[in-house]
Amino acid sequence: MRFTRTRSMLTGGASSALVLAALASGNVVASDNGVVTQQMINEDAMHTDRVTSYGMGPYHQRYSTLDQVNRDTVGGLVPAWAFSFGGEQQRGQETQALIHDGVMFITGSYSRMWALDAKSGEMLWSYEHRLPDGISPCCDVVNRGAAIYDDLVIFGTLDAMMVAVDRETGRVRWRERIADYQAGYSYTAAPLIANDLLIHGNSGGEFGAVGEVTARDPRTGEKVWSRPVVEGHMGMLPGGEESMTGEKNATWEGEAYVQGGGAPWLGGSYDPELNLIYIGTGNPAPWNAYSRPGDNLYTSTTLALDADNGEIVWHYQTTPNDHWDYDGVNELVLFDLEHDGETVKAAAKADRNGFFYVLNRENGELLNAAKFVDNVNWAEGIDLETGRPIETGNRPGNPADADGEEGESVVAQPAFLGGKNWNHMSYSQRTGLFYIPANEWEMEIWNEPVTYRRGAAYLGAGFTIRPIYDDKVGVLRAMDPQTLEVKFEVPNPTPLWSSVLTTAGGLVFYGTPEGHLKAICDETGEELWHFQTGSGVVGQPVTWEMDGEQYITVASGWGGAVPLWGGEIGPLVSHITQGGMMWTFKLADIHAASANR
Amino acid sequence: MKHLIGLVLGVCLCAVGTAQAANEDPMRSPGWRIIEQRFFADQTVVFDDRVQVLAPQSAEDTFAVPGFVRVDGIEDIERLLVIIDLNPVQKVLEMDINEAVMPSVGFRFKVQQRTPVRAAVQTSDGTWHLGGTWVNAAGGGCTAPSTASADPDWAKRLGEVDAALWRRDGGVQRLKTRLVHPMDTGLVDNIPAFYLETLELQDEKGDVLSTVTIESAMSENPVLSFDLAVDGPVRLNGRDNQGNRFRALVQP
Repeated sequence: MRFTRTRSMLTGGASSALVLAALASGNVVASDNGVVTQQMINEDAMHTDRVTSYGMGPYHQRYSTLDQVNRDTVGGLVPAWAFSFGGEQQRGQETQALIHDGVMFITGSYSRMWALDAKSGEMLWSYEHRLPDGISPCCDVVNRGAAIYDDLVIFGTLDAMMVAVDRETGRVRWRERIADYQAGYSYTAAPLIANDLLIHGNSGGEFGAVGEVTARDPRTGEKVWSRPVVEGHMGMLPGGEESMTGEKNATWEGEAYVQGGGAPWLGGSYDPELNLIYIGTGNPAPWNAYSRPGDNLYTSTTLALDADNGEIVWHYQTTPNDHWDYDGVNELVLFDLEHDGETVKAAAKADRNGFFYVLNRENGELLNAAKFVDNVNWAEGIDLETGRPIETGNRPGNPADADGEEGESVVAQPAFLGGKNWNHMSYSQRTGLFYIPANEWEMEIWNEPVTYRRGAAYLGAGFTIRPIYDDKVGVLRAMDPQTLEVKFEVPNPTPLWSSVLTTAGGLVFYGTPEGHLKAICDETGEELWHFQTGSGVVGQPVTWEMDGEQYITVASGWGGAVPLWGGEIGPLVSHITQGGMMWTFKLADIHAASANR
Repeated sequence: MKHLIGLVLGVCLCAVGTAQAANEDPMRSPGWRIIEQRFFADQTVVFDDRVQVLAPQSAEDTFAVPGFVRVDGIEDIERLLVIIDLNPVQKVLEMDINEAVMPSVGFRFKVQQRTPVRAAVQTSDGTWHLGGTWVNAAGGGCTAPSTASADPDWAKRLGEVDAALWRRDGGVQRLKTRLVHPMDTGLVDNIPAFYLETLELQDEKGDVLSTVTIESAMSENPVLSFDLAVDGPVRLNGRDNQGNRFRALVQP
């Protein structure tokens, strides 16, 4: 099967002004009855009147050039409307809204999806997936968002399906099974549209699921290629030919790779010019690393896949032979870096393991790395020559060496929920800084023997998370990718579990479990505005403009992994009440009028 | 099968006069004005006792009332529609009628309260011919949870098909089929609408004989009977509102 690819480059630097000028006269974007094209998605970050992709553009920068809401006007930000996710199903709401043609597309807990009038918040249609009872989501029944392409809205469900519905009516156009939910597979991420293909991973990291990235024809759901992310497993090339991932047993011993984990359970980013898909992979299974000696490629790794065929172009493993549940799934954010006097096509990742990595996104070469949380004790640093961590030897003891079942326990930092979890950082083109929603916590962890049983948890470890400080767990950090210095930080009593948005208005938006959506100054961290949404915010703010007004929207609804896995963090968050609302803000009319003057 | 026959025998054929002009519903249904606007607006409607709906006078089980539509002596029929006037979900099914597919269909439906059950057939001139009968019912059939919704293993049996195809008099084959599906209306809190929405009857080569559109007023685990004027095996190709596909080949 051949796919026609509309390659359009994201132009940077001097030429971007020219592109924007052309857009204003309507010459560049081919809009065919409002259908969404790959070109529109590639150029998403250049448009302020829409958000057609997860991450606000394939680079996943979550940066908007809008500045009507700015440091001077943000005090006048008021709710424009709110929408309730409804029902008894008020669990974690981690969705990122997409906005196109005046319609907002959002997803919710328990595999639900809605189209709303972006101006009034009125519901246009809803899709509620009928879930079987035996689903196994490890970390709450969340969904992080949809993809839009052509006249379809596409999302994944907790029973490991991809469902595509008609953008206008919400009627199902196609549905395809990703994997068997009864074997522990599920899906919570937002799929990616790249190279005119629908790209998705899978979830099931704690159930011995084998990670795989799949590309489908977004119009039909038909599989185009697949790439397992664990060495020795067979993938599929376009045309149906089988192809093995890596070399069997190169970095795994014996049969451990068979249930090797690695689920790429968060979405990927995309460079249309290089035609590379960047996607992170989960921890190897089981957690007990003594049962799987070797580096365990390609788990806890960032992969660059050729979007044409899914072949691995390069890989960078952040945690070889992971022993701490340091999934490598976190997003790779693409940006241009001044490095040794040259502009490098770079990318950055704030990993679960507590290190911030700057890579060359053409070849995966490590350019720089440093801790982005204060407390990291599993490794001293990253060797910039080899790219490997300099481990301190702080691994839990081998149960085989112990009397009884449990091996010796250790206190490891960060805790397994990571220096940063799934919630996405933002790169501001205005300041050149990354804004990282980080957490400072530690865990006690010990290993136990374990055998794989289909559909059952496959860990071989016990653990408990605890705070390090009395007054904070979450810390929003502004990091300079040139120097890897932290420019400022804003502490938060509870863990940060919301994504971050930056704007040309000099603002950084993020949510807190305490229920606030906050706007802080992007240079100092000073808080300039907040709004109490009524439940914890673990969603993802985005912004767009409509009829001359800038809007900001975020989901509120406490949940996610923290209340389920948070151990001694539990008492910090147990008072947070459930809820489920989409909140949309704009400037009060009086402020909008003065901003336009 | 025995169950169905038993109930059909007890049926009252509430024939209501000969064909008469629209607007004067011979069934005196309080729901007729809405039904007329929703399904027959700006179309020619005649009440015609050649269109018969066989159904029990009183519904024993409001979740599954057997019904059968029989049409005698009307030529050139192209569409067949079954409507329950006073249900929150009114349409049960709609299907294409042609030389291969006769205007008779058996089904089971949910009933919310005492209501007329109507069949309408449209002839090639566009005219709808309507007939029907009243069914007494205790009610609640559309707003109670399906049995499947309380069964943790419902997903394992979803889409199972039982079917039989046999020869009757006059070169007609009867197809009877049952599909395992919850057919949830979406009117029960926290149980999403989830129902079979189309069923294509195809010949062995895959050419479509009739497309049947179905709504959630059809009972859980829908049972349907069709009379076909063709020989040989029949393929079933179903799809529910959440995109699940169901396929079966039925041999005579």
